[in-house]
Amino acid sequence: MEAQSALSFQRSAARQFNNHGAASARSAPLDDKYPKFTNPQPNFSTGAAGHIFSSSSGISTDFNVSSVIPHSNLSEKAPFTSQSSVIRQSTTSSQYTNETNNNSWCTDSLSDFLDYSENTPIQSSNLEHSIMPSEDLLDYPQNAPIQSSNLEHSIMSLPSEDFGKQSDWQDWTDQLINENDALTPDWNDILIDTNVVDPEPKMSYHVGGSSTNLVQAQPLIPQSSGEACVPLTPTPCGSGSQSKPRMRWTPELHEAFVEAVNKLGGSEKATPKGVLKQMKVEGLTIYHVKSHLQKYRTARYRPEPSSEGPLEKNTTSVEDFSSLELKTGLEITEALRLQMEVQKRLHEQLEIQRNLQLRIEEQGRYLQMMFEKQCKSGTDKFTVPSSTEPGPDPVVGPSEEGSSKSGPDGSQPAKRAKVNE
Amino acid sequence: MKFGKRLKQHVQETLPGWHNMYLNYKGLKKHVKLISSSLECEISEDEFVYLLDNEVEKFNVFFMEQEEDFIIRHEEMQQRIKRIIVNEPSSQEEYESYEQEMSKIKKDIVDFHGEMVLLVNYSNINYTGMTKILKKYDKRTGGFLRLPFIQKVMEQPFFTTELVSKLVKECETTIGELFPAMVAVEEMTKATGTVAGEGIFKNTVKALLTMKEIRKGSSTHSHFSLPTLNLRDIELIRSFQFSSPIPII
Repeated sequence: MEAQSALSFQRSAARQFNNHGAASARSAPLDDKYPKFTNPQPNFSTGAAGHIFSSSSGISTDFNVSSVIPHSNLSEKAPFTSQSSVIRQSTTSSQYTNETNNNSWCTDSLSDFLDYSENTPIQSSNLEHSIMPSEDLLDYPQNAPIQSSNLEHSIMSLPSEDFGKQSDWQDWTDQLINENDALTPDWNDILIDTNVVDPEPKMSYHVGGSSTNLVQAQPLIPQSSGEACVPLTPTPCGSGSQSKPRMRWTPELHEAFVEAVNKLGGSEKATPKGVLKQMKVEGLTIYHVKSHLQKYRTARYRPEPSSEGPLEKNTTSVEDFSSLELKTGLEITEALRLQMEVQKRLHEQLEIQRNLQLRIEEQGRYLQMMFEKQCKSGTDKFTVPSSTEPGPDPVVGPSEEGSSKSGPDGSQPAKRAKVNE
Repeated sequence: MKFGKRLKQHVQETLPGWHNMYLNYKGLKKHVKLISSSLECEISEDEFVYLLDNEVEKFNVFFMEQEEDFIIRHEEMQQRIKRIIVNEPSSQEEYESYEQEMSKIKKDIVDFHGEMVLLVNYSNINYTGMTKILKKYDKRTGGFLRLPFIQKVMEQPFFTTELVSKLVKECETTIGELFPAMVAVEEMTKATGTVAGEGIFKNTVKALLTMKEIRKGSSTHSHFSLPTLNLRDIELIRSFQFSSPIPII
């Protein structure tokens, strides 16, 4: 049974691998289609890498990945949001290509690239001097050809009042939007054989110019000095000139917020601008503070509105609620304990489920990697796939599904003997 | 098919304001059906990916919004508890109001705990839906979208629920301190009468049962599937939802 399931898994994985190969081959035409959506990328280095990229960009599209590549060049030149968006671009594809390239049979000079693949929290050092360098940004045009103008979007322009230089700011943000793609060539210098494909081509699908570039920002780790950098996740900004960068708050950040508010005399007295100044957190905008302050005020002066919220919808429960009041305190406590039990149980199961899901995908990735390795190492060899026969390269690995060697061998029918299933 | 129904049920019964925030499983499934498996499917793949991205964005926005709220409310809850406990009642009148406040905050904190757990559940259900729809897509088109796409999804804010889980655990600690030692579940059966219809509780019970249903063995069980879920006291939990108009069983 074990062997059987192992074999079937290999087969399905092999099929997937096959499909991937096919998909990559098919993706070649995609390259031709891209110019339709965007100005041709002058930077497509190797054809193979390009293929991988086009398929990867097709998949990863506007997905953003959590790692922020601490590229010093970028941090000096780009203000926070542009940096995050550029990083978004590059990490999107970079992360993906790293994974595929790990598995890929086509590119091999990715060692540099791989360095950037790790998930790293936003290095505050990168961000600290990233906020205001309007003069730095002006250097950009020299470096980069202006590429696709499909960028309507995703870069959030930071509100100018934060930084006091209104006109400079507008110029800067306009430039930023235009130069966004310009940043990618820098990456190309570093990323050998891979190209940061402009995800903008996907924009053409977007009605109204909204982008779905997603950025995952790491939760922030406040510096010991109290200064901290803020994780920003740019959101689609099809509407309006200034969209609010979506930020992920953390308890530490909130603590700093509360401290600042208290220093300013309480939640009623404190103003967003004051709090912002007091907090001294890089990357935090007045919008963030404003909305957070509003939530904070609501929470303070109407504690737990949610306890009434769900009950409003369900009329029977409102009656129950009042009848609940009449019951003895002890019974209420017992009821609450019961509720807690169920909730804890649910949470426990959710965590278990999540871990399982993570492990499942990890396993899938691992197997994929094994296939790639096999494929790569066995390219010249002509083997008859068999679960009992040792593969061309003795692949040592903790494969729970038994021998996974026959799987990948079978996926390259052009180069191998017929698949022996 | 089963998942779609379960999801629909779950969404119908979920907290107000959450209805539109779940995965549009049905819509995406329709889309997958429309996609032919011809070689022309690259464009459709892009469209499909676009749709999926939109869904993920929707999750992220909602999730982070809720998360921010939870962070704020969690801290406020702590403050509130401190305030109440500090005001130790000395006289009879004070005692009554103290008791009242205590019972109110106990209820609030338990509901708060439940809400956070429901958010984690939200995240998980949507993730599960995503894997399923991607699997359908791959099956339909012979494509290979699932594995890399799901890797991306796993890094999205809505799936990285560590912070919310941490808040949940902290909440549990606080609750443990507020309430004297927990009683065994069997003894709590007497209390079931008093919890009928409680909003959050009802939702968590349902979520737990839904999870069990979703994880029942299916015909397409594979190495990528989750094992079936065995819950202790499943019958007891089922009995909690006697007020539900739509039985989940």
